[in-house]
Amino acid sequence: MRGHRSVRVLAVAAALLVLATACASTQPAGGSPTTGPVKGGTLVFAIWQEPATLAPNYGNQTITGIVNAVAVEGLLRTDTGGNYQPVLAKAVPTEKNGGVKISGDGKRMDVTYELQPDIKWSDGRPFTSADVKFTWEAWMKDPKVVSREGYEQIESIDTPNDLTVLVHYKTIYSPYLTRFGTIMPKHILEKVADISASDYGRKPLGTGPFVITDFKAGDSITVERNPNYRKKGQPYLDKIIFRSVPSREVAVAQLKAGEVQGMWNLIEAQLPDLEKDANIKLSITPAPGVERIEMNTAVNKDGTEPNSVHPVLGDINLRRALIYATPKQQIIDRLLFGKARVGSSPVSQGWAAPKGLTQESYDPKKSNELLDQAGWVKGGDGIRTKNGVRASVTITTTTGDQLRERVEQILADEYKQIGVELKISNMPSSVLLSASWAAGDPRKRGAFDLDMYSSTPAIDPHQTVNLRYHSKQIPYPGNGGNGQNYTRFKNPEADKAIDEAGSALDLEKRAAAYAKALTLLNDAAVCIWLYERSAIEAFRTNVSGYAGQVWDGITWNTEDWYMKGTAPSY
Amino acid sequence: MNRYILRRLLQALPLLLGISVASFAILKAVPGGPLAAYEASPDITDEDIRRLEHAFGLDQPVPIQYLSWLGRFVVGDWGYSFVSHQPVLGLIGERLPNTVYLMGTVFVTVLVLAIPVGVLTAVKQYSWFDHVVTGSTFGFLSTPTFWLGLLLIIFFGLQLRWLPLGGMATPGAAFDLGDRLRHLILPVATISLVQLGSHVRYLRASMLETINQDYMRTARSKGLGERIVVLRHALKNAAIPLVTVVALDIPELFAGALVTEQIFGWPGMGRLFWDAATRLDYPILMGILAVSSTLIVLANLLADVVYGYLDPRIRYA
Repeated sequence: MRGHRSVRVLAVAAALLVLATACASTQPAGGSPTTGPVKGGTLVFAIWQEPATLAPNYGNQTITGIVNAVAVEGLLRTDTGGNYQPVLAKAVPTEKNGGVKISGDGKRMDVTYELQPDIKWSDGRPFTSADVKFTWEAWMKDPKVVSREGYEQIESIDTPNDLTVLVHYKTIYSPYLTRFGTIMPKHILEKVADISASDYGRKPLGTGPFVITDFKAGDSITVERNPNYRKKGQPYLDKIIFRSVPSREVAVAQLKAGEVQGMWNLIEAQLPDLEKDANIKLSITPAPGVERIEMNTAVNKDGTEPNSVHPVLGDINLRRALIYATPKQQIIDRLLFGKARVGSSPVSQGWAAPKGLTQESYDPKKSNELLDQAGWVKGGDGIRTKNGVRASVTITTTTGDQLRERVEQILADEYKQIGVELKISNMPSSVLLSASWAAGDPRKRGAFDLDMYSSTPAIDPHQTVNLRYHSKQIPYPGNGGNGQNYTRFKNPEADKAIDEAGSALDLEKRAAAYAKALTLLNDAAVCIWLYERSAIEAFRTNVSGYAGQVWDGITWNTEDWYMKGTAPSY
Repeated sequence: MNRYILRRLLQALPLLLGISVASFAILKAVPGGPLAAYEASPDITDEDIRRLEHAFGLDQPVPIQYLSWLGRFVVGDWGYSFVSHQPVLGLIGERLPNTVYLMGTVFVTVLVLAIPVGVLTAVKQYSWFDHVVTGSTFGFLSTPTFWLGLLLIIFFGLQLRWLPLGGMATPGAAFDLGDRLRHLILPVATISLVQLGSHVRYLRASMLETINQDYMRTARSKGLGERIVVLRHALKNAAIPLVTVVALDIPELFAGALVTEQIFGWPGMGRLFWDAATRLDYPILMGILAVSSTLIVLANLLADVVYGYLDPRIRYA
């Protein structure tokens, strides 16, 4: 009796779910054709992550930047083409236009930013060079800021007048354009003892199109038109309300119901359903993150010696065989609905992405040949051995990630076909991705065979390439666990190329140096570049003006967003 | 009586201290740490991680970390979140009214429904009403809230479009009582249906036991009406076990509903705890755990005291 009831309840529930999806996707078409920007309206935008803080210097969540970008601006920003464009600065300083000068026998540099005149903070006070200097000081003063990368390299800042900022660097710091992306108001914060705990954490004041007027924790963040915004007649929208929802699924449901007009960050699996909905438009842009498998070339051991050799993965033939046996396209087609691209390097987008660099594509026959030639002989159980060592390795990824778990299943099958046993042992992301020696990150400590995760380089990839592939960055007890070169890849030529790329200013020269280092990395066959994902956002059809781009969140140009017609209520 | 209460309160102190040591130890035993999420930032360097560990005191030995937390906690300094950097007391303060609003409504709804339904099912044992109620309460009791909540959202929110899909109010709209109530219905229904099951079944069982007592026959033979017999003689005695159950609901008024608040995007304590737990934000977790455990201890004491008041046979030595 009891069993029957629960079976019936389940059946009803299943029927309801089917019905729900069916009905939701057959709504009548709404929205109107776009002819030009319209002023007014409140746009509700669903975010499924709660920004803990909106202060740019303390926030390390992507969502922090998504929300505060509507209010906080920097000296420069990137456009949809991945080029820098001036925002609060008059021009992008380069060596060519005299904005960057090399000094100290080619070992230091000075960068001059000329600021736009007549820019006002949203409270009406003038924006000046003192604010830029204050931003750097605030970043260096509080030990709780997230990253000091790029600010630590600054020796001092001069402000000869209100509209000129002269930044003196201690070294040649090639990614200098990525800094000062968020400027803080000196007149409000200079007397605040601890900015992190102040009101600035929730309502950071800036020069952007909107002013953050209300922060209801866990519920919503309201931003209203900035009356002092520098572009006349903009922004078009009166208000944006960022609505905190518990999950992507709920956000999709609210978008379909018209309770919200836009939502942040979908995954590929949600696309087939949304593409059928005539009320919804999608913004899909390539994202710089690359999902990869790293192979440990040193012995799998806690605190491993960087020069030790992994009994199985130490053999480059076996590593190459694993690359040949990885069906990247099949994974993309089956698990990502074809909405991702095959990976070939850790830097997939932008000026530094090595053009024409590829990785061996799926060819299990080649794998078998390589292994046969290298002396790995198949045993009775189908698994190969060489000199008494069984070709058995363990893969580790983050627990609870369905997509990654299914990829592991596919790989275990494929690798078995070529005589390599793949065992699965996953860990919570707070351990596997902690990047902390003390917290026991197995990648740092060298206690893994294969690991699978994703990493996203910044528009200037130096940090990523240097930290992960320079031989100086191999973590081991002797250097206090410094660095993130988890594969223990060592190549003096690659080191030289990385150092060159980090100390040059000419982008073409730098791109060539990165291409050289990353080609050598692929030759060493220590990483399998699985796939490159996309940044996916969705809007109701009556919303226009947004433009997805690679290097910045969807809210980078909210001054151009507008809405036609009133939002249909549910 | 006063001496009894005082003694129980004094006994609670070492107990609460023990709970806080255990909570801290368990949180610290969770692998990883609050800085794990920082790796998402491509700019973060090893020096950054070490600087942050030092700034948050995470490089200290665990017992020292605990003692410094305790030392500040007892003088009212509950610390700052590692993630939002906001004071923990302030974070709790802004969520608490929302949770009290939700859980208070649940508390009242459940009591108002559980008593008459529980009494009726016992008085009319084995009637169709009893079968329907007993069957469905058992069903709801065994339904996980996350599933029930989603089902209600799909049916009343997505299908019928009668009720909103989540949140506490329509964003951006001016205060509107009707709008508030409509947002309240589904989360309250989700928690109440599950809680109602246990309360009704408690009361039904205890009523059935009481109804068959000798003094009930005596009351009836005195010529008292059935209404008075049931309500005055039976219910008053049968309600005693319910007191414990209800008193233990009180801490939930503070702690909120972890799962339901998450499903409905309710900005309450449950969600605060959930978010803090996913980031291992110790100061928030310890603050909430400390208050919850204190409330549980106090609620138990309250239940014992009320018990004695309702049943004079119980004496406190």
